[in-house]
Amino acid sequence: MITLTINEKEVTLDKPVSVLEAARQAGIKIPTLCYHEALKPFGGCRLCVVEVERMPKLQTACTLMSADGMIVKTESEVISRVRRGILEFLLINHPLDCPYCDKAGECELQDLVNKYGPTVGRYKEEKRKVPESHKDHIFARNMERCVVCTRCVRMCNDVQGASAISMMGRGNHTRMEPFSADSFNCEYCGNCLTVCPVGAILSRLYIHSFRPWQVDSEVKTICSYCGVGCSLVAQVRDDSIKRVIPEMGLGVNKGLLCSRGRFGYEFINSRERLKTPLIRKKGRLEESTWSEALNLVAEKLSEIKKTEGGSAIAGIASPRCSNEDNYIFQKFMRMACGSNNIDSVSRTGFAAAQKYFEELMGQGITANIIEGLKNSEVIFVVGGDPTSVNPILGLSIREASRRGAKIVVLGNAKGLERFKNVQVIPPVFKEADALEELLAGVSGARGVRGEKPDIDRGISALSGKYSGKSDIGGLEELKNALLDSPSTAIVFGMDLVQRADGHRAIFAVAGLTYLLEARLYLLSEKPNEQGLIDAGCVPDMLPGARPLNIHDFKTKFETAWGGAIPDKNGMTLLEIIEGAKNRDIKALYIMGENPVFNLPDGPFVKEALGSLDFLVVQDIFTTETAEFADVVLPALGWSEKAGTYTNLERRIQLQKKAVNALSGMEDWKIITEVSCKMGYKMAYSEAEDIMDEIAEVSPLYRDLSYREIGKGNCLWPYHGEPLRGEIHELPAMAESSSGNYGADFYLALEKPLFHSGTLSRRSPALMKICPEPTLKISSAAAEKLRLQEGDRVQVSTSVGSVEVAVSIDESIKDNKVLLSNNFEGKGVFSLLTYKLDPVTKAPGIEGCEVRIEKL
Amino acid sequence: MFNETVLKEIEEIKAKYPERRSALLPSLYIAQREFGWLSHEAMECVSKALNVPEAMVRGTASFYSMYKHKPVGRHVIQLCTNISCMILGAEKLVDFIGTRYEVQPGGTSPDNRFSLVIMECIGACGTAPAMLVNTDFHENLSEKRIEEILDKYK
Repeated sequence: MITLTINEKEVTLDKPVSVLEAARQAGIKIPTLCYHEALKPFGGCRLCVVEVERMPKLQTACTLMSADGMIVKTESEVISRVRRGILEFLLINHPLDCPYCDKAGECELQDLVNKYGPTVGRYKEEKRKVPESHKDHIFARNMERCVVCTRCVRMCNDVQGASAISMMGRGNHTRMEPFSADSFNCEYCGNCLTVCPVGAILSRLYIHSFRPWQVDSEVKTICSYCGVGCSLVAQVRDDSIKRVIPEMGLGVNKGLLCSRGRFGYEFINSRERLKTPLIRKKGRLEESTWSEALNLVAEKLSEIKKTEGGSAIAGIASPRCSNEDNYIFQKFMRMACGSNNIDSVSRTGFAAAQKYFEELMGQGITANIIEGLKNSEVIFVVGGDPTSVNPILGLSIREASRRGAKIVVLGNAKGLERFKNVQVIPPVFKEADALEELLAGVSGARGVRGEKPDIDRGISALSGKYSGKSDIGGLEELKNALLDSPSTAIVFGMDLVQRADGHRAIFAVAGLTYLLEARLYLLSEKPNEQGLIDAGCVPDMLPGARPLNIHDFKTKFETAWGGAIPDKNGMTLLEIIEGAKNRDIKALYIMGENPVFNLPDGPFVKEALGSLDFLVVQDIFTTETAEFADVVLPALGWSEKAGTYTNLERRIQLQKKAVNALSGMEDWKIITEVSCKMGYKMAYSEAEDIMDEIAEVSPLYRDLSYREIGKGNCLWPYHGEPLRGEIHELPAMAESSSGNYGADFYLALEKPLFHSGTLSRRSPALMKICPEPTLKISSAAAEKLRLQEGDRVQVSTSVGSVEVAVSIDESIKDNKVLLSNNFEGKGVFSLLTYKLDPVTKAPGIEGCEVRIEKL
Repeated sequence: MFNETVLKEIEEIKAKYPERRSALLPSLYIAQREFGWLSHEAMECVSKALNVPEAMVRGTASFYSMYKHKPVGRHVIQLCTNISCMILGAEKLVDFIGTRYEVQPGGTSPDNRFSLVIMECIGACGTAPAMLVNTDFHENLSEKRIEEILDKYK
């Protein structure tokens, strides 16, 4: 216990903190400029000076640790004089252009000068002149206003870990600059914007367009891009979002954002938004009315249900939609259409992996808190780059590394290049072997754990398979790092799930989690991949992940919903597509998803959709898939509707409505209308009513309400009972792939930081940061092919070819070439074929051997 | 790119410090020696060799005035114009060098032979005016002596 006196007030502390923090706890505010709660104390601006008895000079409160018996004064004549002096010095160079500066009204310097003076400066000479730089697409840099507090640089180095900017020069000429001196070429997280106390760094998205005090409302909501579900604040004026900012300390992200979350919100104002329902008439989609469109959908689906049976109808739900939307969607499919054929594009990764992990290890195995990553001693990253798929989760890994944790990586992870300790890059298509070998090694050292006999048996079978010395470089070192660790976290990306033997990789990772008692984190690209499963948008499980084939569960839901649920498990996503091709599926209802673009073998998917009798697409844009639809229904997007989302750690959060949409209806509302017309009545006035129903029927969400969610910290299982220890027999595992993988280059999927697909392509800011896809190649490949940065090449597989620019990526160390799947006509999936993983039913990517020719 | 020998030299420097970042200043000197000045390319090479972020390399380099931040001539003249040198006519010498060798303070002669840098005191007040040419020290300067000296630097 430390007791000190601040301004004659006694302050008792549990643990030693800085005098600044102690004063804050006592409700005493000390002015600061270079201090920021997200950053380490710096002691640069000297504004926080205080008098401490028996200390000869004024002390900076931010760097001075409190000690027992200290007597501190935070305001006095001397202190005021010093603060006035410091501010006068700062104003020597800081221009008095407040009437023109965007920061006015929320400028820390302005507030301080207002409080401490001086009212008149004595400096008569010329001020420093630096023209405002608009050379970057996103950031405007005004170095006349910079007060050299270095908050932006410390944020970029110490928190974001991008280290893209630095203080350049010295003395009066010190300025913040990116390496290139003009464009930032960084991760564009914009966290420097959050911490700049003055108008030195501004976002060009809204520069000179509004004043901070002109904001009509501030809506605390969550981001719509990835599975982390960051909290953010949308500032609204005239019913449009002016900017998105984080709030310090709030949510999983604690005031940090990534490029997508901060700058990607403009898609809702895109001109390409669907305005009215469309109906295909004489081969063309034509504008129509809601009543005509809804009647047609209900009529057609009823007809097909009657003539072909419910099993001829299928639905594709969306991990971009809320829990409520998805719950209603599966209820509609099961009760109104009479079909269990419900799946989502999440089947290509998260849903497939999550389900198999839970089957192996028990429900909730992936429910781990992101914050906990920071406390791990070893973080094993496999199957993707967390810093681009889930950037904010990636920051926790970087922070752990700075704290001294070992980061071990299997495969490529560009964002961890400067943070990793061990990296193993197995040959292409041999990743599962590498993981199995690793598991066998760990099991050899750790022995049998004996809690889950099935997994123990699976592991011992592998131990026989790998007994010799490894020929994969670095695997031994990786194994030893894992064995030495007292606390391990495993971060699993979805790259290895998209393999025909993806279940082997999943089993190996599950085995490692089991033997090392590690915490498992699954990377999740879309905001509600977990919620989608919990809401029951899977072919074999009811809400709350209750297996359909357990009679008691089924009966319970049948009673609650008032009707019969079909007995048989439905089809998974690619089975639905194949079913459409084989005419087993006659009608397909797609909610907020774009399978033509987001699935491998695009030509096949197009053909399948073309074979359908009836296709309904519900979306906010006319997507590539909507082009094939018979009816297109305009939905509402992020910030236009309320709903709950479940993030990858299974935190249930509320996404709020911030603005009124010009057109469209909530996804759930459209579906309930169709359902009523089909004779199965569903009536809810608000999304909240749906959550009340979910809380009643789904054991996972017992007692949950919007009020509870609004309080925060609604982590799964919310008062619910998870279903642990499922009875399960290990499915037969595929053999090691014996294919001949001798091609020069293999095409692989890149998950870029700046794009997500349909939404990001309609976000002007993200398009400015990254206007087109590039083929990422290693410098060795560039040398071999005599290619330079920016050269245009033709990339061809057996399926097709695409023309893109080349970008050399030093983080690629093998013969992979990477292409993202975010741009129409230039995606990686359209070039690849697939083969289903027999266990997870995820599409295993095939045909990745590519030819690259310079144009 | 740095060649193998240079990379080896940098590896040896790196080995002396517990942190890679500590090897920045000596590595920047090597880059300056190899490229003549600290171009963006030179700093990129240092960044890669040390695995220190590029912006941090440039931030560090730009703090120190003894690194060359723009291309310089074959020989760098560093002439002092502080009090003692000034009283003894250093400013006239600046003009002299300017006309005789076509090089202005902070600039480089068109034939790329000399760059002229005006220095703060170089501790030769007793033998002022004084200058450094590359790393050689010259004092008691006059126009004639400067001509004699600089003739040796082709």
